[in-house]
Amino acid sequence: MGLDRRGFVKIVVGGVAGTLFTPVIWKSLDDVSIWSQNWPWIPRLNKGEVKSKAALSKLCPAGCAVKVKTVGGLPFAVVGNTANPLSKGGVCPVCAAGAQLMYSPARVKSPMKKVGEGKFEAIKWEDAEALLVEKLTALKGQNGKIAAINGDETGSAGEVLSGLLAGLGNSGCYMMPGEKFVAEKGVKLMGGSGQPGFDIAGSDLVLMIGADALDSWGTTVANQKAFAATRPTGGVATAKFVYAGPVLNHTAAVSDKFLPVPPTATAAFALGLANLLINAGAVCSAPDFAEYKALAAKYTAEEVEKATGLKAESMKELAALIKAAKAPLVIAGASFGQGAGALDFVAGASLNVLLGRVGGGMTLLPAAPKAVAGAGASDKDAGSFLADVSTGKAAPGVLLVYEANPAYALPQAGDMAKALGNIAFKVSFSTYMDETASLCDLILPAPHPFERYDDNLNPYGVAKPTYLAGKPVVQKPVADCKDPVDVLLGAAAKLGLSLGFDTYADVIKAKAKALGADFDALVAGGIWTGEAKGGSLNLGASALAKVAMPKADDKTLALAPMSNQAYGSATLATPPANLLAVRDTELSGKDLFVQMNAATAKKVGVAEGARVKLSAGKGELKARVHLNEGVAPGTVAVLLGFGRSAWDEFTKGKGDNVYKILTVSDEAGTGLKVWAGSTVTVAKV
Amino acid sequence: MEEKKQCKGCGGALPFLIGFVAMLVVGWVVFPKVIYSQKTQPVRFSHKIHQEQGMECANCHAFRDDGSYAGLPKNEKCQECHADVVGSDPAEKVYVEQYAQKNKEVPWLVYQYQPDNVFFSHKAHESFECKECHLEVGKMDTPPVYYENRLSGYSKQTMKMWQCERCHAENGVSNACHVCHK
Amino acid sequence: MAHGATKEFKVTWGMVIDLDKCTGCGACMTACQVENNIAPMVDASNKMRTLSWMLVFELSNKKSGAEAEVAYLPRPCMQCGNPACVPVCPVVATEKNEEGGIVSQIYPRCIGCRYCMAACPYHARYFNWEDPIFPKGMEKALSPSTSARPRGVVEKCNFCHTRFMEAKDKARQEGGNPEGLADGAYMPACAEICPTGAISFGDVKNKEHKVFDLAQGKDAFRLLEKLGLNPQVYYVSKREWVRKLGDNYAATGKPGAAKKHS
Repeated sequence: MGLDRRGFVKIVVGGVAGTLFTPVIWKSLDDVSIWSQNWPWIPRLNKGEVKSKAALSKLCPAGCAVKVKTVGGLPFAVVGNTANPLSKGGVCPVCAAGAQLMYSPARVKSPMKKVGEGKFEAIKWEDAEALLVEKLTALKGQNGKIAAINGDETGSAGEVLSGLLAGLGNSGCYMMPGEKFVAEKGVKLMGGSGQPGFDIAGSDLVLMIGADALDSWGTTVANQKAFAATRPTGGVATAKFVYAGPVLNHTAAVSDKFLPVPPTATAAFALGLANLLINAGAVCSAPDFAEYKALAAKYTAEEVEKATGLKAESMKELAALIKAAKAPLVIAGASFGQGAGALDFVAGASLNVLLGRVGGGMTLLPAAPKAVAGAGASDKDAGSFLADVSTGKAAPGVLLVYEANPAYALPQAGDMAKALGNIAFKVSFSTYMDETASLCDLILPAPHPFERYDDNLNPYGVAKPTYLAGKPVVQKPVADCKDPVDVLLGAAAKLGLSLGFDTYADVIKAKAKALGADFDALVAGGIWTGEAKGGSLNLGASALAKVAMPKADDKTLALAPMSNQAYGSATLATPPANLLAVRDTELSGKDLFVQMNAATAKKVGVAEGARVKLSAGKGELKARVHLNEGVAPGTVAVLLGFGRSAWDEFTKGKGDNVYKILTVSDEAGTGLKVWAGSTVTVAKV
Repeated sequence: MEEKKQCKGCGGALPFLIGFVAMLVVGWVVFPKVIYSQKTQPVRFSHKIHQEQGMECANCHAFRDDGSYAGLPKNEKCQECHADVVGSDPAEKVYVEQYAQKNKEVPWLVYQYQPDNVFFSHKAHESFECKECHLEVGKMDTPPVYYENRLSGYSKQTMKMWQCERCHAENGVSNACHVCHK
Repeated sequence: MAHGATKEFKVTWGMVIDLDKCTGCGACMTACQVENNIAPMVDASNKMRTLSWMLVFELSNKKSGAEAEVAYLPRPCMQCGNPACVPVCPVVATEKNEEGGIVSQIYPRCIGCRYCMAACPYHARYFNWEDPIFPKGMEKALSPSTSARPRGVVEKCNFCHTRFMEAKDKARQEGGNPEGLADGAYMPACAEICPTGAISFGDVKNKEHKVFDLAQGKDAFRLLEKLGLNPQVYYVSKREWVRKLGDNYAATGKPGAAKKHS
């Protein structure tokens, strides 16, 4: 039987009609719609058991004791460790982003050797370590030829670094700036010794002069917990918090009182307060009280008002509050955690002496035992060292950089980066491709905190000796990295030196033992605390005699760098998970906003959104203006952490780096380099 | 005239019916076979043998302390018995040599695999018999064939949203989005 | 659910945020992003494109010098008792129909019309302008709690609903009552991580939960109460200027209209 066209059409029509009575079309449509829900480029979730493991997250400067949540063994989130008495279940915004930072695009994936300007080549670990040993062998025994910069003031790694250098006949182990360093000098000027501590939890009035204690000063999370404990939601506050500083920052936002004090006037403000308190009857038995009293008398509230614009009335009210308090505490520091002079510290701390709060509110921590026998003191600053390198006074052939970013985070950062160029062979131990690593000749990638052993002794601010330690959360690091301390110990062995340890874990175990702490309990999220030592301090009057009343200057503005912990630190650019938190009044596209109040803006002749150039020394910073009434008069506030020239697409080239325009000066009488009171000129562009 | 006759021969509704019926057959019989590809499990796991050893379902398919469901066991569990070959079944040898000793997890095919946007709590459905939703594999010597939908990529047994919703509605349980979605 | 009426639930999950304790540190925003798998954006300063289920606003009293004050206001989804976003959804991709009162959503059903975004007076809803592409490798750090949403879908805070489900499973496992969770058994990521404990979370109808009293405290208020959306997020501040900003223009058109919540 033949089939003609008409028959064929009938069959097709019948077929189509038949199809409509089958699931073919409907099922296909349904399946296709389900298929379209799973585009291959949409990432899939990980499956498996959810666990949480204790870790020491040293992503923030103070270090958070946290728990890392894993799914199928992969870390995905960070939560607080409620059992740890230091963090008490709190996590800072940087450590909160810790799991994602393991996969940061800025991570150094393997050892790298510089092969040209800005060009690197991945090499094998054995070659990298051999190169390190070769360079060290060549300069062994020549003092001044090998130097190290350490950016981790709490870890035992510093001891290994310093011990290695000592073994190689070198003494050049330098610290990146921090408040601990300055505070210890300050304590010396007051006739004492040791690292000062501050018992916020045990005080009923906390006056923070400059120190941004609830966002970036000291053990931030512990401070926040202590603050929170005094003000139950819906209840009555049991302590007062007062912030006196250049900017209405995060600390000031929740404080009962905010006093705008320019960063150039920290010490003068404290002495003004001392004067008011002495006039109100405060006395103390310190041997230099008479001298101190006479000195403070020069700082009347009216004089301070003239110099700073701070109303005398506000200071008097504050003095009355302090007088009424049973357990007042004064914490002085720089608003951005570094660069303040010892005199600023002494002026603030002297109030604690005057108020009889040394030993109670302000404590002194005993010297900690060392794990590495040959380790020296960590009291030399990296800024002065690099300044010497740039003038040729210091001429090391090899520089080891551990957890530090001097090319970005030292005042006059541009000059510092240039100074690094004078050193023939630079080695960076860094987890991330930061500004300094990108200038180094050899990069030895360090593990992320969740991939390594590390410890944390006496983070600045703690009232009692405190020790934390952590072990890896994951079995295998994401990148081809090695613990820097293990690398250094390995190199030492090849150089014929014995530091007494094979691995960093062994060093930490020895440290724990020396302190009388249980290593296993520590790495399980525990803590060791000791007792503060006794001892008294004087008022530091002879040092404070060098304080000068700040002078108002029509041409320049006081520069107040502002730290916002969420935006990262010297050694960490803003984590990808924190980018959202940056306001569009702080960064817009690639423009950084600097902040000043309307009166200051008028004086400078700029308006909201205006493009300006801030300059000081050889540095320049380009930005736009945002008006903020919370900035002290005559002050321009600039956020730290922007203007990265390395890192990743999320941070590189965004905004500008305030370190470039910080200028160093010598503090009168103490020989310290200071830059907290830097001034800048602001010009419209 | 010839043409007209021929037309009558193939005329009327017959071709239409032929097409209609043919496509009904294709749609109901052929299509359901064609749309699924058939896959077999990487290891011929016998639930039957394991049951005969006196094992309970919960020995391997257990709830964790937090109430989450462990689902299929990992090597860690299997290796408690099968670190080395203990029996004579060739499937066991495959498991031990290709997975356990290489420390590689078995890529089991999950018959009820749900997408990421589904949140399912086994704990909340604990009162139901497993077989009300799952294939009854307990007494099988060979795992059933895995039918994978060629279009959507899901298993044939993956429960559809309407099935979940119907049961929820019948049992008076909320059908709000987040009850099942995340 | 009838439009314009609040549907009552036996359990009503609510948040009480103490604005006098919020330092604005941003840990809640980070924890939220991590929990809910929000991909980082290269230009996160473009706030028209970002996804911030939890957003910390900065409030100012507009004064200067020692008089100046700022407050930080974390804004999750308000989980309104009478949500404006739900009735406008043409495909029933979002609804409020579950014990606990969380406004829920199913992403694959959303057609991206954004009516809900227009309806929400709190700007708590966000549209995915881009696919969720993470830097290479970072997808290994995805949280198992929330599926990745493709481009073209609206999303918002859901009080970390998966944690609610997990808390119920844990209660079942431990022989407890999943419909009457103890205070603290279920905590969203933001409340859990907040270093100053500014965010309290619990069942505002359960006397055993501390938010029960906190939500009724004399300094408690909600945002734009006069709109009648009956939010389940409460704020607390002893500062009058902050409370006034909470209801700054509704009904009377005047800032700081009298407080009137039940």
